[in-house]
Amino acid sequence: MSSDEIIKTSTGMTTSHRTEQVSADKAADDAYPTSSKYALELNNVEAFYGTFRAVAGVSLKIAPKSVTAFIGPSGCGKSTLLRVLNRMHETLPGTSVKGQILLDGVDLYGPKVDPVRARCLVGMVFQKPNPFPTMSIFENVISGLRLAGVRSKSELESVAETSLRKAAIWDEVKDKLHQPGTSLSGGQQQRLCIARTIAVKPEIVLMDEPCSALDPLATLKVEELVRELAVDYTIVIVTHNMQQASRVSDTTAFFSMDEQRAGYLVEVDATSKIFTNPKESLTEGYIAGRFG
Amino acid sequence: MRLSALIATIAAIIPLIALIYFVIVRAIPWLDAELFVNNPLDKPSGISNAIFGSLQLTTAAILAVSPIGVLAAIYLNEYASPRVASWSELVIDVMLGVPSIVVGMFAFMVVVPQLGVSAGAGVVAIGILMLPIVVRTTQEVLRLVPSSVREASLALGVPVWKTVIFVVCRTAFSGILTAVILAYSRGLGETAPLLLTVRGTFAQNWLDFGTTMNALPLTIYSYSGAADSRTLGQAWAAALLLMVLALALNIVVRARTVNSRVA
Amino acid sequence: MTFNITRSPSLLSPDRTFRAITLMAAVTTATILAIIFVVLALGSIPALTATSFLDFIGTNAGPIFGTVATALIAIVVAGPIGILAAIYLVEFAPKRLAVVLTFIVELIAAIPSVVFGLWAVNDLSIRLRDSVEWWIASTFGKFIPFLSEDSNNPAADSVFRAGFLVGIMIIPLVVALSREIIRAVPISLREGYIGIGATRWETIRHVVLPTARIGITGALMLALGRALGETIAVTMVIGGSNDVPGSLFQPGSTIATRIATTLPEANPDVKSVLIALGVILFFVSLGLSLAMRLAARQTAKITASVK
Repeated sequence: MSSDEIIKTSTGMTTSHRTEQVSADKAADDAYPTSSKYALELNNVEAFYGTFRAVAGVSLKIAPKSVTAFIGPSGCGKSTLLRVLNRMHETLPGTSVKGQILLDGVDLYGPKVDPVRARCLVGMVFQKPNPFPTMSIFENVISGLRLAGVRSKSELESVAETSLRKAAIWDEVKDKLHQPGTSLSGGQQQRLCIARTIAVKPEIVLMDEPCSALDPLATLKVEELVRELAVDYTIVIVTHNMQQASRVSDTTAFFSMDEQRAGYLVEVDATSKIFTNPKESLTEGYIAGRFG
Repeated sequence: MRLSALIATIAAIIPLIALIYFVIVRAIPWLDAELFVNNPLDKPSGISNAIFGSLQLTTAAILAVSPIGVLAAIYLNEYASPRVASWSELVIDVMLGVPSIVVGMFAFMVVVPQLGVSAGAGVVAIGILMLPIVVRTTQEVLRLVPSSVREASLALGVPVWKTVIFVVCRTAFSGILTAVILAYSRGLGETAPLLLTVRGTFAQNWLDFGTTMNALPLTIYSYSGAADSRTLGQAWAAALLLMVLALALNIVVRARTVNSRVA
Repeated sequence: MTFNITRSPSLLSPDRTFRAITLMAAVTTATILAIIFVVLALGSIPALTATSFLDFIGTNAGPIFGTVATALIAIVVAGPIGILAAIYLVEFAPKRLAVVLTFIVELIAAIPSVVFGLWAVNDLSIRLRDSVEWWIASTFGKFIPFLSEDSNNPAADSVFRAGFLVGIMIIPLVVALSREIIRAVPISLREGYIGIGATRWETIRHVVLPTARIGITGALMLALGRALGETIAVTMVIGGSNDVPGSLFQPGSTIATRIATTLPEANPDVKSVLIALGVILFFVSLGLSLAMRLAARQTAKITASVK
């Protein structure tokens, strides 16, 4: 069976997939002239909460403009690893990071690097939609820009519209831009958060279980959105939903927990391969639902 | 048993009703235009200097104290380690518990020798009484801002200081305003510290904090035993004003806390 | 494409500056308290070192007695009423009514004490004198001289009236604190009792109150501390006598009233005495509020272990 058919049967539905499988080893070189082939490169990355090692020795390469899913049972550091990628992990007291993370070849944790600037380049969408409570929809979308000092009204308005369109929510909110962000439904709020994240034009968009607080219909909309966004952005998505991972991602990384409760990378490969013919038996066990 | 508890509740409320009734009834005959415009030495006498004195004193104190209090609360809630935060809770509790007469005594010992009996000393005393209220209330309001708001802002690449000011404080703004109003209302009603620091006067000294000033509580106090009915009536009128102000501010505060939803 | 993600190398980054500003504000606040402590301590030393502690108490017996007496009377008035009212509001009152009544009770706390004083001088005092004082004096005054009154010439001001007034003023505090404590008693405890057929009142008496007892005691202590510091309303109603009065229905004074009325004109010796008295007042009040915190923590431990 071709990988397409397998994906179709395992999810029971068709979506607008790209049919070519872009594996972590092949990159769309021509469309992305940078100093590095990879949007993100992790070399032996470890994350600590005090002395407790939550993530152990992860090495991984992420191709540009692709969707990579992090899957695995609860507690194996997927979210922690995600927060390492946008330098949010260090905002908690007592935490530390080891190893190397290259963003387009540039060391994200280099000595002269400003974490705030780094976070402009690596955006994050959270599990529970979190629009700013006292701001309107419009203010929410442009909040990142405005706080970075952008004053021009026309620029703000045009970015707002572009971002809301890209987040597939423009039509729903264009007539009520000045209503509070919290007046939207859960799924709409999450798309608003996505719009807000892409308004600052990041290179990479991280998503930490973005659909787990949403109803199935909203989930579908967000999943479609992820595929559309992958045209412009590199996306890393943590998810507990294996079907979602197989629907949405090009590459899948499977994590598990070792005896010291540190998370480690078991296997990473093209999504189709992971879900049909994984190399590790642990991966196979998880996919088959035998644990996690 | 239920009955006795109900009676107790009614007993708790009766004084309030009696007091409001009496103040209104006794004050109303004396509420004329002269009351608000004239000073005690004019004929007919008024309490204008007390009204504006109270406003000047309390406003000056709140302007001086709010920035310090809000910034301190920001430090304690956003930056301080848990140990520092719990020690500071103790410090604020102690400050809240200082009897107002003791604060007045402090201002008398420290400020009066410098400035003399003056509005400045009064402002210091009232300010010290207001400060812990601002800090404590602001802290509680900041605590209510969910961490997801801060996370969202940081993830957008907003630096910490901008996150605190333009996101967290903006979210908590209504609550911070409440803190200030609450402190202001407390400051208006304080008498004891003023007795030791400002003492009251018959003159109207606009914005001159180097000399004495009058205030509503002082007027009420000194006129309270008066034999002359106009003077006593002015005490009641001043009391009515003060009471209405204090109750109005408190009702505003409560209405805000009931209606506002932070997250 | 290269990104500019390097930091600006200045030491005065906005982040650090802002944090420093807020830290300074916090330090300033703590410093103010420290200065208060130091100034008061220094000011009271002359008086405290001049005579022995007992002598000191003796010479100032009047205000000290007055302070204690008014505070105790206040608690006797406010305690039962406040606690019972809190019980009603939490356990018995229908929701809507409870909200309204609680609101009204808490408004009492918003009224400045000088307004209470004015009302008392012109109204409450006389009523109290003619009703409660007269009743207590005529019933008990014969064999307890402390509670006696010269019925032909009742005093214009009295310690009793001051205490009663302060009691009225601290009722909202007692109610608010007691409400919190009673509400904190876990439902599981109550349900257990109701499950075996107890009435509402029995549940309250046998389950809620014992659990809340420590907390309520703490609340009363806090209220007591507040009562001790009440100055202006007391000054207007208690008269100005510096001695220990022969009866509760005679004028007296408290530490707070002494300070308020005599400090400005006092000579240095008397000043130091007053400051020392003020320090004592402060520490007692502090001790009581700390006791309340301890009590609250104890109750929290107990209720937590129940869950």
